[in-house]
Amino acid sequence: MDVKPVIELAGLEVRFGERTILNNLCGSLSGRAIGLLGPNGAGKSTLINTLMGFYPPHKGTARIFGYDIRTQIRQVRNRIGYMPENESFISGMNAVSFVRFMAELAGLPREAALERAHEALFYVGLGEARYRKLEEYSLGMKQLAKLAQAIAHGPKLLILDEPTNGLDPPARQRMIRLIRDVRERGNLHLILCSHLLRDVEECCEEVLILKQGRIVEYCNLEEERRSNRRFLEMEADGDKEAFAEGVRKLGCECALAGERRIKTVLSEGVEIRDLYRLAAERGVRIRRLNYKRDSLEDIFLKAMENGHGSL
Amino acid sequence: MAVYKRTYQGYEGRLTPGWSRFLIITRYAYERVFDSKFLLTFLVSCLVWPAICAAIIYFPHNSGAMALLHPSARNLIPINGNFFLRFMVWQGSLAFLLTAFVSPGLISSDLRNNALPLYFCRPFSRAEYVLGKMAVLVILLSAITWIPGLLLFGLEAVLEGSAWFWDNLWMTKGIFLGSWIWILVLSLLGLALSAWVRWKLAAAALLFAVFFVAAGFGQAINNILHTDYGKLINLVELIGTIWAGLFRTTPVSGLTEFDAWEALLGICAFCLYLLARKVKAYEVVRS
Amino acid sequence: MNGNGADKIVFEDVSKFYGEVLGVNRVQLSIPPGITTLVGPNGSGKTTLMNLMTGLVQPSRGRVSVLGISPNEPERMFRQAGYCTQFDSFPKGLTGYQFLYLFLRLHAKGRTEAEQLTWKALERVGMVEAAHRRIAAYSKGMRQRVKLAQAICHEPPVLVLDEPLNGLDPMARAETIALFRTLASEGSHVIISSHILHEVDRISDCVILLTNGYVVAEGQIQAVRGEMQHEHPMQVLVRCSNPGVLAARLFEHDHVAEIKMHKDRQGLLVATRDGERFYDLLNQLVLEGAVDVESVAPADDDVHSVYEYLIGSDGGAA
Repeated sequence: MDVKPVIELAGLEVRFGERTILNNLCGSLSGRAIGLLGPNGAGKSTLINTLMGFYPPHKGTARIFGYDIRTQIRQVRNRIGYMPENESFISGMNAVSFVRFMAELAGLPREAALERAHEALFYVGLGEARYRKLEEYSLGMKQLAKLAQAIAHGPKLLILDEPTNGLDPPARQRMIRLIRDVRERGNLHLILCSHLLRDVEECCEEVLILKQGRIVEYCNLEEERRSNRRFLEMEADGDKEAFAEGVRKLGCECALAGERRIKTVLSEGVEIRDLYRLAAERGVRIRRLNYKRDSLEDIFLKAMENGHGSL
Repeated sequence: MAVYKRTYQGYEGRLTPGWSRFLIITRYAYERVFDSKFLLTFLVSCLVWPAICAAIIYFPHNSGAMALLHPSARNLIPINGNFFLRFMVWQGSLAFLLTAFVSPGLISSDLRNNALPLYFCRPFSRAEYVLGKMAVLVILLSAITWIPGLLLFGLEAVLEGSAWFWDNLWMTKGIFLGSWIWILVLSLLGLALSAWVRWKLAAAALLFAVFFVAAGFGQAINNILHTDYGKLINLVELIGTIWAGLFRTTPVSGLTEFDAWEALLGICAFCLYLLARKVKAYEVVRS
Repeated sequence: MNGNGADKIVFEDVSKFYGEVLGVNRVQLSIPPGITTLVGPNGSGKTTLMNLMTGLVQPSRGRVSVLGISPNEPERMFRQAGYCTQFDSFPKGLTGYQFLYLFLRLHAKGRTEAEQLTWKALERVGMVEAAHRRIAAYSKGMRQRVKLAQAICHEPPVLVLDEPLNGLDPMARAETIALFRTLASEGSHVIISSHILHEVDRISDCVILLTNGYVVAEGQIQAVRGEMQHEHPMQVLVRCSNPGVLAARLFEHDHVAEIKMHKDRQGLLVATRDGERFYDLLNQLVLEGAVDVESVAPADDDVHSVYEYLIGSDGGAA
């Protein structure tokens, strides 16, 4: 597994005129897929733009794969691929020309660029449509073209900003599947910046949460999932209140969440079969029973309340 | 038999040299520039005058053709500084029109479609971007100014002999330098307008305005303030002064050559400043 | 089908064509108060339906009636709907406050009333501090919230919101969803369109699925799923330690249509034509000790699966 850090933040501070947008960010990130979360205005876009060298830091610096963004930005840019959040394309070109052009700008020779462009477009699923002009594309196709240009030159770090923005459900699923595939087989690292916690949960093992320009949480989702074994969530038909009472009598914490969900923490000695027995006694039919799903949501909300954390 | 699974792979091959990458922009821009039949026709028509000039140079040396003409008609058009100055003026005007056609779409479409972050997240600097776009104009404009100019000079030198060549070598400096300063001014102005004005038509119109309206203003300033310095914002006067100096003909205006050079270089610097303001990957909007 | 539909949004055999291009075709709907979500691929007719509801377009055929008012009375109709579009454009040079205030003045509110309603709407969306900054300087989430504010500020009984959560961070999403619930509980019609299906599950009272201009399903999602059980048996994932034994016991019952072994051989994917009986059966088997269940999860009891079955991945326009 990788031990060398992908991104090192050394007191990074970024200002726009008087306003401090990023404040003294420190730490070292080495995960394969890192999720970047935070409320609007927390500085996620600014962080990404600064790491790519679009905006100069006021104080401190950051290193990507060991290269300093202040002095060695060209080496940094040699290794990254970027999929912007907003619509980004070059008019008058079709997808093949576009991806090929972008690959050539990244340094690939002409023939290799053409080959890789077709490979990338095939990989993301743009078939015959790649010969049509980009202006005619639907939103989903434009997103796929953006992803293709980000990976065609074989970067070591892929930065994805809201990749599922505006996509309808099947296209979203396809995009998430692609991202996971790239992550697993591609031998590269990725940073996923998104407001949709589900997307981040499905793709990333580590999560960095920003708030008002500071890091408020950095956690490893794998470890969180492993430690959640005793937290259960159920959906049932019948008298849920009575059921919850019974669970509490067994010595477990239990709470009703929303209209349908029952959350509980199994204490020592209580097994799932005991819950089923209790259900039969109270005339309740258990429809769903599994380990708590929304851990990232809880982590996020807690981070927002607490305010301060560090790596 | 084997089943191949296509999946994502990194790239480990060779890379192109860093310094040559700005030409990639030029190459791709040309593929689209030449899509326009109108532009192709215009380009060809820009070479009509040089062809006529070549004929004018050639005829006096063709005894058969000369025999047809009346004796006093021979040597009617002397090939001297004035001749090349006229050539420059005509081709220079065509260069202006060419810039007005080609330059508006160069940067404005990238800005409109938010393509700049894609350029600059690669090992590609802002200077290379501007250089690449400029090269599009520079190559086209060179093809209709100093390249045919030097070829005409060469033709006359071959026909007249080495004495004429050495006597008139100073004219090559005029052709070359005069063309380049004009190319520089036009390209930078065209690019700066393309970066600041979204609409192609508006950018072209503004280019015309910069020349003709500024000329009008310059004249007005001259009349009101009783000075000649209004001519400093009249680009036509400025380049006219410089060319007159380079071709050793009498200047039309009261400006010195030095003033004119200063003014034009100042304009170029200002255009570079405008470009630096707009060509950025990341725009911060003030509240 | 009660009364004259004075509290419903009614589409009676409505079709809308743009020249030859299909918007929606023969739509029959009766939408009660509460949160209703329109789901479907891009180009399926969601925006057309929304435009019909707000009176921005007239149907080519059929009748539209929003709380008893038809598009033939545009003044009354525009007053009662608030529309938050998916497009991100605003008049140039305005601040958030000015945008709302001018909008309210256009609705013939007096100065004081307009001011009050503006601040009320800004408070509801959490944009009070940024109100006097220019919209051009807002982040995407802030612009989205100003759009929402503009839709609710004149307190209309019908809210039509096209992808209202787009660009909002998780906290803002939760707050906005809570706002929708409040509005729905006050009796408003909140019509939302969204692509984020797990959120649709959580917040909607009623779902309308569209594809290619047709309504393919509408109603409460559990009810819709139940109706589909025959062609698309309910799939339930049961993780247990002895899946083989469980499978044998399950096959004894005729409502179990299909059982698949999970890849890691620690669970079963059961397809059953009668969800209720299956859960009873499973509860019983656990009690008997025949199986040691680790988790039980319906694999397709949500909007996502209904979407897959009815619309699939090629129902889109491109």
